[in-house]
Amino acid sequence: MAVKAKILRILRLLAISAKMDLVWLLRDTKYAIAGITADIIGNLAVVSSVFLVAVRFGGIGGMSSDEVLFMMVYSTMVTGIFTMFGSGNNIHISRIIGRGQLEHLFIQPLSVRMQLATCGFSPFTGGSNFLVGLILLVIAVRRLELVVTPFWILSLIAYILTTMTVIVARAYLVSSTAFYAPVAAEEIATTAIDDTWFLSTFPLSGMPAYIQLPLITFLPEGLMAWFPSLCLLGRPPLGFSAYYPMLFALVIALVASYVFKKGMNYYVVKGSNRYVPYGFRR
Amino acid sequence: MLSKDQTDMYLTASAVKINNVSKSFVQWQRDNTRRGLLRNLIKPEKRTIKALDDVSFEIRRGEFVAYAGPNGAGKSTTMKLLSGMLLPSDGQIEVMGKSPQKQRRELMKTLGVLFGNRTELWWDHPVIQSFEWKKVVWDIPDEVYRQNLELVTDLLDIGGLLKTFARELSLGQRMRADLGMMLLHSPELILLDEPTLGLDVIAKRQMIDFLKRINRENGVTIVVTSHDMDDLEEMAQRILMISDGKIAYDGLFAGLRDITGNLTRVAVAMENDTVPELRNASLLSSENQVHEYEIDLSCIPVKDLMSQLSSYDGIKDVEIRKAPIEQVIARLYTSWM
Repeated sequence: MAVKAKILRILRLLAISAKMDLVWLLRDTKYAIAGITADIIGNLAVVSSVFLVAVRFGGIGGMSSDEVLFMMVYSTMVTGIFTMFGSGNNIHISRIIGRGQLEHLFIQPLSVRMQLATCGFSPFTGGSNFLVGLILLVIAVRRLELVVTPFWILSLIAYILTTMTVIVARAYLVSSTAFYAPVAAEEIATTAIDDTWFLSTFPLSGMPAYIQLPLITFLPEGLMAWFPSLCLLGRPPLGFSAYYPMLFALVIALVASYVFKKGMNYYVVKGSNRYVPYGFRR
Repeated sequence: MLSKDQTDMYLTASAVKINNVSKSFVQWQRDNTRRGLLRNLIKPEKRTIKALDDVSFEIRRGEFVAYAGPNGAGKSTTMKLLSGMLLPSDGQIEVMGKSPQKQRRELMKTLGVLFGNRTELWWDHPVIQSFEWKKVVWDIPDEVYRQNLELVTDLLDIGGLLKTFARELSLGQRMRADLGMMLLHSPELILLDEPTLGLDVIAKRQMIDFLKRINRENGVTIVVTSHDMDDLEEMAQRILMISDGKIAYDGLFAGLRDITGNLTRVAVAMENDTVPELRNASLLSSENQVHEYEIDLSCIPVKDLMSQLSSYDGIKDVEIRKAPIEQVIARLYTSWM
């Protein structure tokens, strides 16, 4: 019963965020359409640039051009989900911490976790990339002649969730530095997420192992699209298990959770000597 | 909100209980000398600031309490401790029978918090959208929301603001909208930190009247901080005065006046170079033909003061206001010696 009530509560919170996103879109339609179009064009440009290189050279590092397309599709869908759930500063959390704005969360009768999970949901303004990804997925699956079974679809969902976990956990892990250095680390989540984003759209197949290994461990850009898409194509790279991304996601999520909690404890003991009155809501 | 009958029942219960609470902060010290820069690198210099020093007090339900003190006295720290934003270094805190640190979520259902320099409104949405968001987040029942929305719209006169974007409101309008939003979940205790900061006379008056009304008619316990004695005396019956992290006075305003007198500042603007000489008043400053005096109005009635001033030609303007809080505290300390 308690679980059901909690799920309903989460759905209601997601619904109010979605409603606010919709009314924002309908209110500023001109700008919203411009923004969505720019998002789609930008993402298609990233996909097509790498895909065209793959077509020109008959594949990249042992991946055929269609496999490269599939990888780019995976990346586009992840980007879509990220923008759908992280449109506020709930994933770029170092901004909220660095600006001394966590106190806005403390006065709500909800766990901080639930607030952060639901407050950035914007399916209408942030869902365009996901839709583009879905359309391109159908094209890539047809070109690759993949046999789509319910298990394969569940695997796709599991890998996308895994990638999202890695993105969020890494953002929260590095953002924890903002508890201790609020001014210097205010934008560190942006660096961790956005500045490394483009690296994640390049196929690492064919690269030497000393480049591939760091990119699936210390700087896990290889787990953003390359590794999981190869797993979904039935050939996990580097002789690793197909479950490696899940294991990595679990470990980084546990570490991030521990470090973030330590940071929160530091925050409520030391307080924030900085408050910026803008940008705590989208 | 509470009915009057419920309010009577509450009078004996405690809304806020603070026992021997201390809160210290560590500040980094740096100087710009070469030696200092090197020293900072190896062994940074730190200074411990005691924002609250063994503070104890209790506020009963239904009270309207002014929490006063000069800037940096520890007012905002106390508010943050009461609302679970900070942990005390030492001591126990109980708010509405709950621990703000351990039972934050439950407490927030009965607590309303408003900081004068912050807004809880969604910046890029109309005010009513923020209200609807609050309804969902606080899980406010439909009927309670409807009643409270009607109440705050009427009492705070915000009907015309509901469809306006928060970013387009003036400071006074924004404060009224924020106050209305804070009350939607029927809080039993309200913590207001400098709510009149930056407000003009009319906006201030509206806010003060509203707060007095919900305290009187609905039994809402209110704790309000300010460094402006005029505002506080206008609002509250009891004053808790804090200075250097310690409670300097806890009692009624009348009692404070008995100890410190009715310290007042009078500014007289002249059209000529005459400096009026006023009995039992000390001249504090004279600048650009504006002369400021310190007067204890418990010794000289206003009538006598005006009568003295009327004997001078060329008086352009007279302004009478309460002495700054720092001076009241200084007088308080002097009275103990």
